[in-house]
Amino acid sequence: MGNVRNDQADMAQARSNVYGLLASVFRAEPTTDFVNLLKSPEMSDAVAGLGISIEQILPDLPEDKLAEDLAVEYTRLFIGPGSRISPYESIHVENESNSSGEFWGKQTAEVKVFIEAAGLKYADDYVELPDHVSAEMEFMQRLASFESKSRREGKNEDAMFCKGIQKRFYDEHLSKWIPQFCEKIIDRSETPFFKEMAELTRDVIEFERENFSKKSDA
Amino acid sequence: MTKMNRRKFMTLASASGAALAAGVGGSRKALAGSVKIVEGGKDFSPTTGKERQAIPTTCWQCVTRDSMIGYVEDGRLVKLEGHPDSIRTLGKICAKGQAGVNQVYFPDRILHPLKRVGKRGEHKWKRISWDEALTEIAGKLKELRDAGTPELFMYQYGRHKASQAATMYDFMSAYGTGTIGNHTSVCEASKWVGQESLWGGMYDNWDYDNTDFVVNFGSNNFETHTNHIPTSQRLIRAKVDRGVPLYVFDVRLTNTAAKADEWLPLKPGTDGAIIMAMTNVIMNEGLFKKDHLKFMRVTKEFNATEDQKIAAIKEHVAKFTPEFAEKESGVPADKIREIARGFAKAKSACLVTYRGAVKHYYGADTERGAMLLAAVTNNLDQPGGRVMGVGAGWSHPKSKKAAVSKALHIKDGFPGEVAFPTHHVSHQVWPMIKDGHHGRPKVYWWSCYNPAFINGDNKGVSALMKDESIIPFQVCTTIVYDESSQYADIILPDVTYLERWDWEDMVSANQIAEFSIRQPLVKPLGEARCQGDVWPELAKRIGFELAWNGKEDFVRQSCEMTPGVKEAGGFEYMKKAGVWHDPNAKPNFGFFAKEVDVSGDGVILDTETGVYWNWKKAGSKSADEAKKVGYLKTPGAKGAYVAQKIGDKAYLAYPPNTKFTKTGLLDFYSDNFASKGLPAFPTYTPIPEHQKMAADELIMTTYKIAVHTHSRTAHCKWLAEIKHDNPAWINPKTAGERGIKNGDPIKVTSHVGEFATTAYVTEGIVPGVVAISHHLGRQHSGIYGSGKPSPVSGGAEADSDAKNMWWKKHGVHPNVAMPNWSDPIGGSQRWFDTPVKVVKA
Repeated sequence: MGNVRNDQADMAQARSNVYGLLASVFRAEPTTDFVNLLKSPEMSDAVAGLGISIEQILPDLPEDKLAEDLAVEYTRLFIGPGSRISPYESIHVENESNSSGEFWGKQTAEVKVFIEAAGLKYADDYVELPDHVSAEMEFMQRLASFESKSRREGKNEDAMFCKGIQKRFYDEHLSKWIPQFCEKIIDRSETPFFKEMAELTRDVIEFERENFSKKSDA
Repeated sequence: MTKMNRRKFMTLASASGAALAAGVGGSRKALAGSVKIVEGGKDFSPTTGKERQAIPTTCWQCVTRDSMIGYVEDGRLVKLEGHPDSIRTLGKICAKGQAGVNQVYFPDRILHPLKRVGKRGEHKWKRISWDEALTEIAGKLKELRDAGTPELFMYQYGRHKASQAATMYDFMSAYGTGTIGNHTSVCEASKWVGQESLWGGMYDNWDYDNTDFVVNFGSNNFETHTNHIPTSQRLIRAKVDRGVPLYVFDVRLTNTAAKADEWLPLKPGTDGAIIMAMTNVIMNEGLFKKDHLKFMRVTKEFNATEDQKIAAIKEHVAKFTPEFAEKESGVPADKIREIARGFAKAKSACLVTYRGAVKHYYGADTERGAMLLAAVTNNLDQPGGRVMGVGAGWSHPKSKKAAVSKALHIKDGFPGEVAFPTHHVSHQVWPMIKDGHHGRPKVYWWSCYNPAFINGDNKGVSALMKDESIIPFQVCTTIVYDESSQYADIILPDVTYLERWDWEDMVSANQIAEFSIRQPLVKPLGEARCQGDVWPELAKRIGFELAWNGKEDFVRQSCEMTPGVKEAGGFEYMKKAGVWHDPNAKPNFGFFAKEVDVSGDGVILDTETGVYWNWKKAGSKSADEAKKVGYLKTPGAKGAYVAQKIGDKAYLAYPPNTKFTKTGLLDFYSDNFASKGLPAFPTYTPIPEHQKMAADELIMTTYKIAVHTHSRTAHCKWLAEIKHDNPAWINPKTAGERGIKNGDPIKVTSHVGEFATTAYVTEGIVPGVVAISHHLGRQHSGIYGSGKPSPVSGGAEADSDAKNMWWKKHGVHPNVAMPNWSDPIGGSQRWFDTPVKVVKA
């Protein structure tokens, strides 16, 4: 029993970590620190296992130059002006009421309500819209972390409830747009970094489908 | 990439955990607080029973600035409606106002500060933080200020009014630059100059609530106007409820003309001939009223008798017979007589003029003629007549002025170009920058303005903005990437007007001042920031302080110090109510007839002009010296004006509240004009270029429509759906002579440039003219404005309605072929004077 519990706690924490990483990838232009962490042997090895070569996606350039190039690419991809891939759920999701494609659309409000219903609030200095990809990833990071903690503390009901909320958020939000969003990035990237990160994100979201479909929580 | 499995996932997670532990993204979290899913967060099914908030605010789509109520649901603005308590708008807003929702959620909105990383116009940008942006801008501005050259910082705006303008001017004054450009010369500047030379102020309101007769020259009041909603509904009510006659002189059959008793098509630029002819009829047939004569000066003489004045006016207008006007304008002489008689005999009458009348060569003089016609029929500032507009007078905090304050002389046109540029000559700013002889700014910052689109010869402006050797550092505050912001070095994301604070002061149509505020309906999207919040932050970085710390604070302080608003409950009251007017106020008419006490310390009578003025306030050394030099020759004396002696009484009359030095009389004889070699008495001057047009040339005019502003609404999808194309209006006779049929492609060419469009052949326009509205033909500004879709999903293309965009046309802009000609008197860009050739393409 204890092993299962630990196993589930570990998995929840692992998921939390991965969501945390993805939140960081999309939150803003990669900082020099972030780039250096990605280049760390541990991360290099981890992503190498997924067929991603850090050397290839982060060319061997002076730190400043690399950060500058990534910032320009990030701006081109997600900020604009002009053509860009808006990093907000409501822009991408189709629904019956045809209210998709709206800034601060139906989904934006739903995401905000969802997140606030879980006791969290948007940070005072957070300037993005509530359904920004990184906010959704961070929300999953927080939920999975809570789940992990609950499991370790033996609060199985809390953990199961929390897992259920994650599944609901995954079903109602992440799965509805992140795969398409990633495809657009893959299609549109001019440098390998965001292309590979989008592929990674897409695969994580796909992997999550399996996680949520497993009958678990004995 | 290989397929994810549990082992790989766990390895990634472990590395991610290490990265997170090392602080990746640690300082830039989206979420705060802790997960409380079990212990009771909010209700988990909140999608039912949503709360809808109603928040009063004020529109900004156009300068009318109607009071509104915004409805917000789940943090999203869902609807805008007129404010039912507004005495100005009576609860109504227009289509543009309702489409304000599109401004906030325009999917191509710029939401973050951007720094150019490619060449200007290469569209290559990097997002930067506000901190970085302001540090860089402050660095440049501080350098100029420290070097004693603050004037090398130029700021130019398109639409800044009330507190948006007051906060900007306060910053600029504290910084020390007077190089501040506006946009008024592409609007109605000459109208104001004509008025200021007479009644010492500007902005006429038309008292439709009380009027008995309306004659309109070139104002499409039912579709557009600077005070559209307040005035148009009152005019329609006057017409429908009281049967008030309405005559419209216009080149085009506008919707105002269409609803008039009669549309009187005229040749462009001949309004003045008809106005003078109407005065001729009224004077010669003895239909004039003597009431206002005592406030009028019509010859050099200040103390002329009534009979002398009547004789002088008759003499001045003698040559402008209705037959002469018919020859110039094409309007039948008998019709001019009929309307003149009706106008003069009506108990009260409104003489309406706007851009159609004044945006011509000597347009300011046409406005003076219109004022004369109103004066001789005693319809100036009387119920039912042409009245001085009454707006809200706000008090507001003011910061300490800079020790060094200077300005480049590039705001008022080239030397000798414009006699009275009291509203500046904004369309010549870029040509003067190009010329370079009067200095060039080193920093140029524009906001709510699109110089490379809205000015004449706009392709020329575009090339100048692109050239880094002309102005080395350009900053733009905008919500949309457009024809000008593409050439900025730094783009700052502006808030829309639905996300910001302001107080507003637009003129009331009922002569009772209404105070209104604008407040954010929703939190600014992304990192959008109000200019009024940028100024104090920038001041700090440069090294000075402002007397307010942001727009909300500015508005709060203003509410607490403005008489009336303060007593009503100040800021908190205005936030709840949105509007306030003094419930005991009476409509303000006849201010000129107020008698004034002239017994005050330092008040003396200038015997030449009859002006009472305060020599102490004027800064004269003694009363004797002041009397010796005289009122008109003492610099600064107009600021010390007290009253005008008429008969044995002292009246407030028409004080010189603007740059014109004048007496309290209506200066129909103007020393100011005479001194510049301009007609001292209102006259009619034919457009010089129209006198030498080739036989195959036409006059190109332009016009506004109900659902767009000049440059700020093309991206509003609801409006673009209604109006997205603007074929050129051309009369069947004119079209026939050129073999042009309805819908044919045509080419319009002037000496400045050419453009292609299609012909709309209609009897609704006079022969000899081609008319193209001036809202469309965007090169940028998103899919709804320019039709250019994003290459991939995201941005505008992802907008659900992009799929519903059934129209393929996006119109043209006549500015490509419009020269930057100025009215030599008032400085307006001469929008309706350009000769062009039109051929079937």
